Order: sequence, then structure tokens, then C-alpha cells
Amino acid sequence: MTTLVHRRYSSHVLARVIDEAPTHAPTLTDAHRKNLSARFRAVPAAAHRTIDAWTVERGGHTSSDFRWTPSAARRTIGNAAARRVLAAPTRATHDAVRDEIDELLARAATGYARPGSLASWLAECAPAVLSLVLSDATNWTTQLLEASHGLSGPFEIARADAYYDVARARTTLRGRRDLIVATESSRVLLRVRAGAPGKSAGPGLRADLTVDALADVEGHAAARIVGLWPDAGVLLCVDATMEDLRAGARDLVRAAVATRRHQLRRAA
Amino acid sequence: MDVLRGEPRRRPPANTTVAAGLRAQLDDGVYDLVGADLRETPLVVRTAQLRRSDAPVSSVRATLCGVLVVHALRLLSVGHHSDDPFSDAVATWRATQSNSALAQQFDALDEDELARLTTQVRAHCATLRRSLGPIASTWHVRTSLFVSQRLAGGQVLLSDVVDLMMGTTTTPHASVALFDLTTSPLGEGAERALRFHALVQTLRTSTAPLRTAMFSSATGELWSLDVNDELLQRAVRDVLDVVAREVVTS
Repeated sequence: MTTLVHRRYSSHVLARVIDEAPTHAPTLTDAHRKNLSARFRAVPAAAHRTIDAWTVERGGHTSSDFRWTPSAARRTIGNAAARRVLAAPTRATHDAVRDEIDELLARAATGYARPGSLASWLAECAPAVLSLVLSDATNWTTQLLEASHGLSGPFEIARADAYYDVARARTTLRGRRDLIVATESSRVLLRVRAGAPGKSAGPGLRADLTVDALADVEGHAAARIVGLWPDAGVLLCVDATMEDLRAGARDLVRAAVATRRHQLRRAA
Repeated sequence: MDVLRGEPRRRPPANTTVAAGLRAQLDDGVYDLVGADLRETPLVVRTAQLRRSDAPVSSVRATLCGVLVVHALRLLSVGHHSDDPFSDAVATWRATQSNSALAQQFDALDEDELARLTTQVRAHCATLRRSLGPIASTWHVRTSLFVSQRLAGGQVLLSDVVDLMMGTTTTPHASVALFDLTTSPLGEGAERALRFHALVQTLRTSTAPLRTAMFSSATGELWSLDVNDELLQRAVRDVLDVVAREVVTS
């Protein structure tokens, strides 16, 4: 039995869902990590693989080669711009996004950007496409800041996603998180998503929660993860019970198995 | 833009209580029409179905024109100044839709059709730019918002796209203005579409917007309606009419 809860989204409901998060969250031990590593090692990998909530939600189907688009760039730029707005609240969202894009362009111009990085892609974009990136990222930042508006506890925009390298299994797990709210004894994660939640949204959230706990040096899990779909006006949340973390880990391993199976089928 | 934003001091308090009642009315109405048996796929209600009377069968060129002018609006909303709105709109559209059926139809246009489309898009953009005026960066502007709402346990899906939205739901006063851009003249169906935007936005955020507006870049006309209980009730009836029609035809 997992703890998936569905609510209609409003700033009051979001604040309540965060305030009512469990006060105690489980901790993953070395034994849990060793066990997970053994399970991943049992799934052969031809090359280094990255598994995230999206892989879980898609049943192991990996999309074709990644390429930057305005919608792929909006989250990275939008979250960084939201941090700028929180640091200087008089700054307009749109101006903060523009500053962030300018900084990435400056990084590319001074040779600090790796090939294939967001900064390199932006440097090659036509001015009109840059404006579209600005528009998309402004949408993202505005909805993230709207979501954070009614929160009572201290919060921060996540500086990076959670990454965990599974020992000797050529596997990296990635857990997405956009906003981290500090509670009395733990933390609550918020993830903003586009569109509407599908049937596998719950397992996706569980996977993010599990990776976040694994990425924590001491293995402390966040008390709750909230998935927010502003386009559909819906939020889902999952509590970090040991049962949910186990289910999250199982889903990640299953995704690795399914990905391997798809790869073999494609190769045959 | 001044019409949409209005006088800040005269804005009514944000209505955060109306959404639950509207949803209950819609759920009850849908159950009466569709029945309790769960459909395999939800019945989808879109803005185009509400605009049926003034939306003639559109050609590929008309569809492309609409898509490109909306992209031009997105660029205008972030202060992008363009000497060639057509090329910029195509560039941004290509950046989002590289391989769609419409992109293939665009590639298949002959020289004459492409020239007509270019002229059309430039004319619509000129009207739009002249009428829209400057958009301040402090207005919380968002563009091309895809919005959906499930009703009656997923039996019906309301699907909407708002071309431009400004304001925020976090203020104690209603401040959200919805703006829909069309390249066809405004007609009776436009009013229904305006009400639909307001209804879906209310259901999505649990806060009624301040105003809903539609601008025709073909005629330069702007229709703007203040959102109130009566407008939202009419929107509920509009949606149930469409559901009833769809149930009969299916």
C-alpha cells in the first residue's frame, strides 16, 4: 500500500499539503545501498546508463537522442531565474530570465561552455528563437514563483537535481526536484510538471523521492514529495515511508530491465 | 493592453469560492448526459467546438497563418522587435515543431502559396503590433498556455489553449486577464470561446480571472468581457451543450 494522494491545486492546498507532511522520514542505510547496487549489477549494461522518473513512467522506453529545444531549456533557465527573483524580489520575472540567458550567452562567448551544453546551444540560436526561450522560461518561472507564494516555511529553489551513481553498476540515477521546503524535522520536495498527470505519475514521483534519499550523504529521505501540474490544476503527493522508498527502488530496477530488453529487441 | 489590465484600484476581490460550485454543476450535468459507465477515452471539449458557427472549414494556409501569428504574439510579448515577422515566426515555430504534419505541409507549399502566406502573416502581425502596444515586464505575462481539466471522473476533458495571460492569482484582487488571438473575424462563437477560457481558468486555479478577451488580427477588433458569476454560468451551459451534441453524434 503506497501513500499517493490526489488534490486539486490552489496555493492554500499546496501550503496545507506541505504543512501536513509527516514529521518523521526513514533513512536509507549502507545495507539498502548494497542491496540496490547488487540488483542493478544483475542487469547488464552495454554502456553507462541514466535512469530517472521519466524512464520509469515510460516503462523503460528511452526517447531518441536528446536535443535542446525551448521547452527543454525552460526548466533549467526558469529555476535559475526564480532564484534570482527570490534574491532580489523587486526584479521582474521576465528581466530575471533575460539576465540568466545573458549570463549563459556570456559563458559561451568566453569559451567556458562545453559543446552540447545549454549555453552552447543558446549561442547558436537565432534571436527569434532566443526570444521564444525567454517566453517559455518566463512561463516556467512565473508558475514556480506562484506555487511558492503561499508557503509558510523556509524554502529554496533546488540548485541541481539529485544524482546517485550506483556502485559498480554503470548506472546513474537522477531525481528531479524544483523546490525544497524545510520542515521542522525534515524537508518536502516539490516538482513542477507540464501537462496533466498520467497513470504512471505516482511511480515517477516515488522514483524521484528514492533517488533524492539515495543522493543524501546520510540517506535521510524527504518527508514528502509533491508533484504539481499547474496546467491541469492538480497536485499529487507521496510520503516517504520505507514501503514507498522500496517501491521506488523496485521501479528504477524494473526500468533498467525494461530498457535493456528494448535495447536487445532493437539490436536483433 | 490598457483595456485588459483596467484600473488596478477598481479591480474586484479575487473570487476563490466559485470554482467548486461550477465543478459540481458540470459533474452533475455530465453524468446526466453521459451516464455512469466509464468511457474508454474521454470526450474532449475544445475551444474550436464552441466557436463552431464562425469557424469555416480552414485551409492549410489559414491554419499555418494562425499558428505563425500566435508565434509572433509570443515574440511580441517578450519585447522582440522584428523587421521580418514572418521569418521570425517560422524560425520559432520550427524550433518547437520540427517534424509535425503541418510542418510537412508548410514545406510542400509552392512559391505562390508561400508568398501569399508571407503577405498574410505580415499583415496580421502589423495589425497586432499596432493594437497591442507595449507589454510591461512586471505584468506576469505568460503565453501559449495549454490547460486541461477532467470532469466527472475523467469522462469529459476540457482542453484549452490561452494565447496570452497576464496577472497572477496570488493577489487579493482579481488580476488575471486572458487574451485569445484569432486571425478570423469575431462572431457569435467568439463569445462562447471567451466564456470557455474563463471557465477553464477558474477550474484550474480555483480563482476566477478578472477579464477575458479576444482580438481579431483580421479586423483589429477586440472583445473584452469582465468575468462574473453570470458569465461563468453561461460557460457551464455552453460546455454541457457541446457535451450533449457530442454524445448524440457518437
